[in-house]
This record gives sequence, C-alpha cells and structure tokens, in this order.
Amino acid sequence: MKDSDSNASETHARFKVGDRVRVKNMPLMFYTRTQNYARDIEGTIVELTYKDLVPEDEAFNFDGVLDQYYIIRFRQKDIWEEYPFENDTLQTESPDRWLEPVSH
Amino acid sequence: MTEQHTHTLGMHPPAPQVDEVSDYEILEIAVRELAIEHGLFTAEDHRRFTEWAERIGPTGGSRLIAKAWTDPAFKKRVMDNATEACKEIGIDWSEPTGFGTPSDYMNLRVLENTPKLHHVIVCTLCSCYPRPLLGMSPEWYRSTNYRRRLVRWPREVLAELGLIVPPDVEVRVEDSNQKCRFMVMPMRPEGTDNWSEEQLAEIVTRDCMIGVAMPKAGRTEDIRRPVHKARRPPQPATVQ
Repeated sequence: MKDSDSNASETHARFKVGDRVRVKNMPLMFYTRTQNYARDIEGTIVELTYKDLVPEDEAFNFDGVLDQYYIIRFRQKDIWEEYPFENDTLQTESPDRWLEPVSH
Repeated sequence: MTEQHTHTLGMHPPAPQVDEVSDYEILEIAVRELAIEHGLFTAEDHRRFTEWAERIGPTGGSRLIAKAWTDPAFKKRVMDNATEACKEIGIDWSEPTGFGTPSDYMNLRVLENTPKLHHVIVCTLCSCYPRPLLGMSPEWYRSTNYRRRLVRWPREVLAELGLIVPPDVEVRVEDSNQKCRFMVMPMRPEGTDNWSEEQLAEIVTRDCMIGVAMPKAGRTEDIRRPVHKARRPPQPATVQ
C-alpha cells in the first residue's frame, strides 16, 4: 500500500472499460502475481480498480511506480482450448504494465 | 499383490484432504518466532490477533447479504461501495480487528448471482479471502487441489462439492490474485418471502458466499467435508 510519505509516482491508465487486452508473457523474476494460465491470453477490461505498487516491487519493499490495476474477464474457452462450455468466464486482476493492447 | 491392492491401483480417486502438518505451517511458525524475537510484534499481539481471526466466522457476511436482500437501498450501496456499506453492519475494513491492525485490503467487490450467472471465488496464488466478513477460510479453500482445479474444471469441482450448475447458466470464476477481495451474493431462495433479516442470515452460510453452495429454506449448515487421516504421520523422535 502506498505510504503517505512515499515518493512513488503514478502511471497513466492506458485502458478503459471494454478495451481488449492481452496479458504479456514476461520472464519470471523472483516474484509475480500474474498467473501462467493468463499469459498470452486476450480478455476484456471490466473495471479499473485502484492504483498501487506492482507485486514485483512491493514484495521487496521497493518504492516503485504506482500502476493502475484492472479486473479482466476472459472466456474460459480462450484459456483452455478444450473447455466444453461456451459461456463460462474467469476474471483476474492485473496491473497495467502486464497488459498490452489488442489490435484487430 | 493382493486383490485389494490391484483394485486400488486401477482407480483414480480424488485427492483427499490429508490431516498432516504442511511445510507452510512449519514455515509460518518459524517466521512468527523470528518476528517475535526481532520485536516486530509480541507473542501477546499474536495471541490476540489469532483469537480475533478464529472467532469472527462468517456471520458478518451473512448479515450483509440478508440486509441486502431485504433493503434494496442498502443493496445498491453494497454494489456501489462495498467497504463503505460494511460499516453499516459494524465492520470497518481499515481497522478490521478493532485493535490497531490496519488493512491493506480496502477493495471489496460483492458479486451478484442472477438466474443466468453464477459466481465462485478462489485464490490460485494462496488463500486471499474476505476475512473481515467471512472469518478464516475453510481448509479446502486453501488446498492446492481446489485452487488449481477450480479455474480449470469449475463445474466438476462444484459438482464434487454438491452443486450442479445448469449448462445454460454462466459460471464465472473470480480469482482474487491481487488486492481486491470478493464475496458472492447468492440469489434469495423461494419460500422465504416474509422472513426477517435474522431468519434469512441463518441460511446464508459460508459456502453460499464462496459460491460452492446455494442457500435454501431449512439449510442452515454447510456440509462437513471428510478429512482423511495421514498415512504416514510424523513420528516422534525415538528415545535412545
């Protein structure tokens, strides 16, 4: 959580509700909260939640940049190819820097 | 090889919950003892916090749901800002214990079930859970079995827990992997029309708010899951 005397700066929220995004597949360095199952998967932003440190910094007490967090909705079929139900969904949260825009 | 043994090898039973001390429990004890030694908190602080954590239980969540079912204006406030609405039932997320343990987790979302949408919560990373409202999570919620299988086979896991979701109802798994906490608002069941908030709260059990059960008139307790005894329990050291 951001301390009141923190020097952390904030990043601009690049996405809005309804935007299509892809979770990046970045190398694992020591600690992350971005699940393997979500990497390289496309989903839709359903909510902008809060700004906070990213877990990769916070886990080591680094006073980093505050990132915008989002709740992202995925179709289960997009995560698991052989998933048998069309309508089922899964939601997770992710900071901005783990996401990239999807352009079609 | 006995016939029974052959038979056992041919089956694929689900992994049981095993009554054993895990590596994480040992790690917790080690970290706790170090923290006390280094003066981060005292043993007395730890005792008070543990007693609080073990005492609260899911009644706060039950009251929140029962009140939302009977009071549409309160329900709207829950949906707009759940942590603020919690204060109306006496739960402050910023000071959940009432004795100075501020919380990092100020982002609660209550997920409303509808006839076409069923929510279920999990934390695939560890054990994130709306503790100020629901108390300590059940052991199965923290098991790797539930955590890794719920995201992949949600309908099968729900069926194992006794809940069959019709195919035309969307199942939405909410993985609380960051700082939002989630709780399910189940649908108010039939046959409860003139019930008081207190009566309604009795049927909103913990499992209904995790999303692995549905409330119904007369169901006031969650089913206990069997716990299997460890096959190789830790042995006491042999005295020489």
